[in-house]
Amino acid sequence: MIKIPTRVLLVDDEKDFVEILGFRLKEVGESVTPAHSGQECLEILENNDIDVVILDILMPGMDGIATLKEIKSRYPLVEVIMLTGHGTTESAVEGMKLGAFDYLLKPAHFGELTAKLDSARKRKDEQVERIRKAEVKLLLRKSGDI
Amino acid sequence: MKTSDHAKHQPIRLLLVDDENHFRETMAKRLAKRGLDCDQAGNGNECLSMLEKKKMDVVVLDVKMPGLSGVEVLQEITHTYPKTEVILLTGHATTSDGIEGIKSGAFDYLMKPIELEHLYNKIIQAYDKIQRIEAEQKETEYRKQMEQQMIATERLASLGTLAAGVAHEINNPLAIIRESTGWMRQLFARDELKNIPRHEDFKGTLDKIEKSVDRASRITHQLLGFVRKSETTVTEVNLAELAEEAIRLIMHETQNRDIKIVRHVEPALAFIRSDPNQLRQVFLNLLTNAVHAIRSVGTITIDIQDAGESQVVTVSDTGQGIPRENLDRIFEPFFSTKPTGEGTGLGLFVTRGILDKLGGTVAVESEIGLGASFCIRLPKHLKKMDDFNECYDKNWFNKIKSRFKG
Repeated sequence: MIKIPTRVLLVDDEKDFVEILGFRLKEVGESVTPAHSGQECLEILENNDIDVVILDILMPGMDGIATLKEIKSRYPLVEVIMLTGHGTTESAVEGMKLGAFDYLLKPAHFGELTAKLDSARKRKDEQVERIRKAEVKLLLRKSGDI
Repeated sequence: MKTSDHAKHQPIRLLLVDDENHFRETMAKRLAKRGLDCDQAGNGNECLSMLEKKKMDVVVLDVKMPGLSGVEVLQEITHTYPKTEVILLTGHATTSDGIEGIKSGAFDYLMKPIELEHLYNKIIQAYDKIQRIEAEQKETEYRKQMEQQMIATERLASLGTLAAGVAHEINNPLAIIRESTGWMRQLFARDELKNIPRHEDFKGTLDKIEKSVDRASRITHQLLGFVRKSETTVTEVNLAELAEEAIRLIMHETQNRDIKIVRHVEPALAFIRSDPNQLRQVFLNLLTNAVHAIRSVGTITIDIQDAGESQVVTVSDTGQGIPRENLDRIFEPFFSTKPTGEGTGLGLFVTRGILDKLGGTVAVESEIGLGASFCIRLPKHLKKMDDFNECYDKNWFNKIKSRFKG
């Protein structure tokens, strides 16, 4: 079966990290767009279809939590996986409350990351499908009314 | 203090030394009537041999005796039994001996004939002096011990904060190293690189890099765990349930070994108010250590008992035990006797840090070859977040510090 690439937006101010993780995700068949700040992340989301955002929490300027809030209010269907260099989990817990799909502690295992990526993508697809079905139902009902 | 209190509560060990039997026995009887029982000796040698067998608080010593003189006996007593006070009894002719005696360390001297009341009061004063000195010594010792602990804790606290800062900065480069290694692994799996020379050597080297990253990240995560401050949830906690959860988490460690886990939990154990997440970590650290100490075959016993205002948890193992010289060091950061790479040296450091925060204590006992036992005492009520902050922010060494400021 041919894998449909997950459209990943990878956001971290560590450029080397974004580059290498980008290589790795592309190697396993994902489509990766890099970003190095919260602002850049939002700009890319405005012009591109993205399934999952992998988002670093600690970034200069607009941090991960602020970026997450924006993503969820503008693009509620886009799933977000938080990446944190902190050993503390409270920022991650806050992220989960704000609607993040999951979080990972840096340095994360690649296998764990791709597994979470797959689940996030699956949830997004299910949501999209549910909405599509609801819309179809609505349309059918409307046409029945006519 | 009332004179009768001495006799009632703390019998003074008193030795009366005089070669005049009648005088000595009369004095002994009269002192006994006042509540002071005493042993008796008829000369200096007898006195010294009695002191060898029984510790005395106060010796009432006649100066003029056949054989060893009172002053000679006094010198021997002050040399060998420095905690014993001596009251000399002198006649008119031997007043100078009395003065000599004071110089040699006698508590006082009394001239014969003596009034019983006077002697009695002197004995009580001598005994009070002993008690005062003992109390002062204890206080000095306690103060010294506390100061040492204070210095150690402050050192550890600042070290912990520094280390955590470093740990956080290290996590980012570690992530890059891990991803770069993983990327190389992916490249090596490509067809074009599958048959390059020494392919296995490259893969083996990548394994080593990844293992080292794992090791370093275990340390950084534990360090960060040590200084986390705000993540606190004070709630109803059942220590027995927490212990069971921790046991489940170490099952993978016990599976391949013959380790039996025994529980002694007080029936109907009450809930306590504390932080379950941090306490789970404490259980986990102690159980992991117990498993590592046992190595292959043995028993871990978890005992949980109610003790008034607190609950006491004891985690004992039948492992190799901790050498006496290490007992003071096991709570220091980075102190580990596990093989390099296996222990971070932070488990017990974190454990004590958590218990300090939660107002609890941890103590250890161990005997080489028989095992070790860690005893935790936790208050039943860490009532509000205020209490928690009190414990954490103004933790015990600050309290002690303020005591010494006065």
